[in-house]
Amino acid sequence: MQTFFQIVLNGLMLGGIFAIISVGLTLIFGIVKVVNFAHGEFLMVGMYATWLLTTKMGLHPYVTVAGVVPLLFLLGVLTQRFLIQPLMAARDDHVQIFATVGLSTALMNLALMVFGADIANTPAHGLRAPIEAGPVRMLTGQLWILVAAVALVIGLRAFLARTNTGRAIRAVAQNRAAAKLMGINVDAIYMLTFGIGAACVGLGSALIAPLYPTSPTIGTYFVLTAFVVVVLGGLGSITGAFAGAMVIGLLDALSGFYIGSDVREAVVFGVFLLILILRPSGLFGTRAVLAHVS
Amino acid sequence: MTDSSLPASRIARAEAAASRRTTWGAWGLVAVLAALLIVPLAIDDAFVTHVFVTICLFAGLSTAWNIVGGYAGQLSLGHSIFYGIGGYVGVILMSHGISPWVGMFAGAAVAAVVAVVISWPCFRLHGPFFALATIAFLEVFRVLALHFRDLTGGATGLMIPLKIGWEWMVFREKWPALLIAFGMLLVCLAVAWAIRSRRLGFYLVATRERESAAKAAGVRTVRVRLMAVAASAALTAMLGTFHAMYLTFIEPAAMFSLQNSIQIAMFALIGGIGTVFGPLLGAVLLVPISELARGALGAQAIGLHGFVYGAVLMGVVLFMPNGIMGVLDRLLHPERAVKPGETEAVAARPAAATRPPIGDEVMRVEGLQKHFGGLHVTNDVGFTLREGEILGVIGPNGAGKTTVFNMISGFLKPDGGRVLLRGPDGGWQEPSSPADFASLGLGRTFQIVQPFAAMTVEENIMVGAFWRHGEVKAAREAAREVAHAMGLAPYLHSEARGLTIGGLKRLEVARVMAMQPKILLLDEVMAGINQTDVRRAIDLMKSIRDTGVSIVAIEHVMQAVMSLSDRVIVINSGRIIAQGPPQEVVRDPQVIEAYLGKEFSHAQA
Amino acid sequence: MRFAAYLTTTALVAGLAATAATADVKLGELYPFSGGLALLGEESARGLEIAVDQVNAAGGLQGEKIVLVKGDAVDNNQAIGEARRLISLEGVKAVFGTYSSSRSIAASQVAELAGVPYFELGAVADEVTGRGLQYVFRTNPTADDMAKMIVQMITDKIAPGLGVAPGDLKIGIIHEDSSYGTSVAAHQEEYGKAAGLTIVADSAYPANTVDMSSLVLDLKSRGADVVLQTSYQNDSVLFLQQANEAGYQPKAIIGGGGGYSLTPTMEAVGAELMNGVFDVDFTQYAVNTEFTPGLTEFVAAYKAKFGGEPRSGHSLNNYVGALAILQAMNAAKDFEPDTIVEAVTAIDVADGTTAAGYGIKFGKNNQNERAAMAGMQWQDGKLVTVFPDAAAVSEMIFAKPSN
Repeated sequence: MQTFFQIVLNGLMLGGIFAIISVGLTLIFGIVKVVNFAHGEFLMVGMYATWLLTTKMGLHPYVTVAGVVPLLFLLGVLTQRFLIQPLMAARDDHVQIFATVGLSTALMNLALMVFGADIANTPAHGLRAPIEAGPVRMLTGQLWILVAAVALVIGLRAFLARTNTGRAIRAVAQNRAAAKLMGINVDAIYMLTFGIGAACVGLGSALIAPLYPTSPTIGTYFVLTAFVVVVLGGLGSITGAFAGAMVIGLLDALSGFYIGSDVREAVVFGVFLLILILRPSGLFGTRAVLAHVS
Repeated sequence: MTDSSLPASRIARAEAAASRRTTWGAWGLVAVLAALLIVPLAIDDAFVTHVFVTICLFAGLSTAWNIVGGYAGQLSLGHSIFYGIGGYVGVILMSHGISPWVGMFAGAAVAAVVAVVISWPCFRLHGPFFALATIAFLEVFRVLALHFRDLTGGATGLMIPLKIGWEWMVFREKWPALLIAFGMLLVCLAVAWAIRSRRLGFYLVATRERESAAKAAGVRTVRVRLMAVAASAALTAMLGTFHAMYLTFIEPAAMFSLQNSIQIAMFALIGGIGTVFGPLLGAVLLVPISELARGALGAQAIGLHGFVYGAVLMGVVLFMPNGIMGVLDRLLHPERAVKPGETEAVAARPAAATRPPIGDEVMRVEGLQKHFGGLHVTNDVGFTLREGEILGVIGPNGAGKTTVFNMISGFLKPDGGRVLLRGPDGGWQEPSSPADFASLGLGRTFQIVQPFAAMTVEENIMVGAFWRHGEVKAAREAAREVAHAMGLAPYLHSEARGLTIGGLKRLEVARVMAMQPKILLLDEVMAGINQTDVRRAIDLMKSIRDTGVSIVAIEHVMQAVMSLSDRVIVINSGRIIAQGPPQEVVRDPQVIEAYLGKEFSHAQA
Repeated sequence: MRFAAYLTTTALVAGLAATAATADVKLGELYPFSGGLALLGEESARGLEIAVDQVNAAGGLQGEKIVLVKGDAVDNNQAIGEARRLISLEGVKAVFGTYSSSRSIAASQVAELAGVPYFELGAVADEVTGRGLQYVFRTNPTADDMAKMIVQMITDKIAPGLGVAPGDLKIGIIHEDSSYGTSVAAHQEEYGKAAGLTIVADSAYPANTVDMSSLVLDLKSRGADVVLQTSYQNDSVLFLQQANEAGYQPKAIIGGGGGYSLTPTMEAVGAELMNGVFDVDFTQYAVNTEFTPGLTEFVAAYKAKFGGEPRSGHSLNNYVGALAILQAMNAAKDFEPDTIVEAVTAIDVADGTTAAGYGIKFGKNNQNERAAMAGMQWQDGKLVTVFPDAAAVSEMIFAKPSN
């Protein structure tokens, strides 16, 4: 029983990590309507930035948020402006997918050139210290990630619902043409959204870096899982992404223990396929966001 | 300039020029293919041969991929599944003493079945979702191949016994492998070309461009896509078997690789997605360049090669999204780009002197009901249609006219009530899908025009004509006939996307007319076209009617409604509030109150 | 570049034909120089290069200077292409390689079909020499040797050191799911059972995993006393950290190669946590040099040529294998494939006389039957050899008395 609780807790902690990575992805997915295959590499860039700032300047990893988040915001804005925006008018989605796949490949190999294939270790500053809660335990850093993910979800929702900019973003998501007629600068909104989405993963990367060794390929595993989370949660739904992340975290941890660590990937992707095929609006999505599916 | 005065000689000249350029293109293709075989045989070196085998292999894989990714527009990033299946089936059978020549077809069969099974549910997904689903399937296959060690050898992979000879597809000499790879490339190209130039190809592209319009033209969209995916998977698997024999060793990581899937799609993208020979060009150019880059850049820094690769991919997408073929096409077929404003001519066809009498009932609509959420959009709508009759449907915006249209053409399932059509045997039938409706002779247009933008005008109409004519030649002739009748003849070889709105409306009707329907549903075909054209369109509809076709027309242009309709039904808030001869209906106080006054005066103005 | 080279070759072919018989002998150097395996691929190639330098300095092969021609085996298809290029275009007399097992399997088939000797100096999968090929030889120890050594170390030293009978130790085997981890783990199970060990778990996981907590809990709940992990770097770090964080302290952790031998792994995990962790791999550098004559000279040559310490034992093992082969080729009368095979088959180098410690004599399937791994342990941030006794520079330590 204790083991079961520990697995569930591990699953939730893993879910927190997936959530903080996926929130930005779902935002971009839902509003710009682009699948950003380079999202994992954004994470990787953020983790290397954190690593550099902590090791070269001796900062606490959480302090680097001040630098990493703006950096990723900028990366997101530039990606939208120079890679996605010129392709917005394209007839099909092929080109956007290939564009972000190209960006992903380029960034990953750039990291390989600059940092080499070796792992880079961000100092943990006590974030790896376990917290014992009765019979179960978790890491300080994991708990903070979960807290940050919750805060991010609440904050983003408030931003989208309460602020004028947030309302403009939602208007663009619902009807691009109408929003344009109402005088909203759609291109700017897209850049802003892409920037915010990337900034979210920037926050995530500063929090995750102390817990995982950074390598050029770190993004690849996370990004596929993040896609699963986003589809599960429903396209563009931030709360859905959070819930989806928790589901996948639990599924990952439980299947890893009870079914076998070699097939857990197959379990996660199998569930993903079932959801995609049977309920393409996601577990928590509504019909309103279905515009993208048939 | 009118239709009649447009000299046929000009069209002929343009066609002759186009065919001259096409001939040049054909010679270029033959030259490329010949070079693929002759260069390595002439140089006679194992490494050069290997590079050319690789080119043929990737060109073949990309060509096969293009049938699904290009023609059908379903971006699969999981094609390695089929390649892997081909490899594994071939090797496993070979270890049981079965020649890979047999294994190749076994693998193709397995891959085709797997493809149909996994694609069928996925075709509901579009664009990025389909791509993600295929990636997920690929991951699942890879993990399964790792897991079932008894069958696949697990992570350590399988090795083929080194039995030499044609029977085993393993050779000491270098040329037989080249010959096989080249032959398989030719097979892939032949299949791809055959599909593209036949009805299936037209249907696939039409489905890709506008799924609903394709359905209305009687295309069973799911079935044609499944046929495409099965053909593509089978070809991919055959290449997989060959490559496994060539590598002499297979493992899950190499056979079910996402990287490989992306690369296959990328060659097609760079060559020209959706074109028959684009993938070939992509592979012919990129494989050697990437060899060169690996040699030149790889030694200097790890990752540089991959970085350049990614950067080139972004560059191609940004600056030549239609690939090499797109560039070549602009050089070879400048006439496809039509200048807007040239398309205003409408055929004037003299109406028949006498109108045949209105015949028996051909359609019965009974008690249709439809709710969208809490909204009752269609409430007990019923009417009948007779042979050779024109039924006008009017009503204010949002009254639910188009919803009724969607239900009587199979695009929307009614919550209650039914639609009956007279079958060829004279009995009543209750069709359910758009294709079923089409097979009973019902054709429709869409309020918002739905051209197959990337196809030429002729090809657009041919999609409809295929309903009656299985052969390309017959369909083409029928399409030209309709195009003449509709005044679209000068634009036969122009891409549909270049037409004006009036031209597109006519194209919409032409495509339906090419199906030679018995019942024609027209959804606001006269909205947004000028007065002259409206008069011509009225004549056109009359002449269609006089051939015995029944027409149901939603129309706001009252001039047309009044002069054309034998009967009119008025829909408001989802119910029929009046019906009868047009003159009576206009005088109905309920109708005037509901809407007509304003609209009528507007039409008169 | 290769194409350019090729074009040059064809263009000048007539001119060169006359001078082709210069006193150079070409040998192929086939490793993954780019792509994901580049780091250790290049490290492996450096060993071969040092061996060639040494032979050239001593007068070359049968009086002819050796010229190495590089081939980049970045994937299996590429490995085949490069092997063909080396053999047909460059006309190498033999190919050396390859670090990666799957590349080696693919490329050596080409050599076999072409009848050119292929010398594998670093790939560990059984299949490299398990196929009954005539021209393929391997000097380095295999997955089988690694597993054998690990089990031997448990029964001979670790169990006695812990004060328990080997059969009472519960063994948990975990491994990454590619060819490397899978084949080592299969042999661990096989030898473990033969030695009467109690194996309580055998789990695979993908090497790029980001969470091993479920695996750790599984091992913990099964009460595994000794964990055998065959892994790359990322997963080694992840396991060690997550085991520690879950409060799981097995009596011994034995890593199989890969990540466990690399200093950055130790740095990532921390010297304290790494203390006492065992590792079985190719011979590394903190070893009793009486057992490995020539090691100091090798390290000196490495530093002089590449300006830094060797990054792992791969270079050393490639060096040792290559040197023995080259010396045998030197003693032969010509470079005909069959002559080379004959000369190489006759090699008989005793244990304790090479820089890696193990001797060389090709047995069944042309596998070096004297090849052996070394047993090592992380002690105070250093990886020191502790097994077998002849090579050991330090005593085994047994970390925290288990509670």
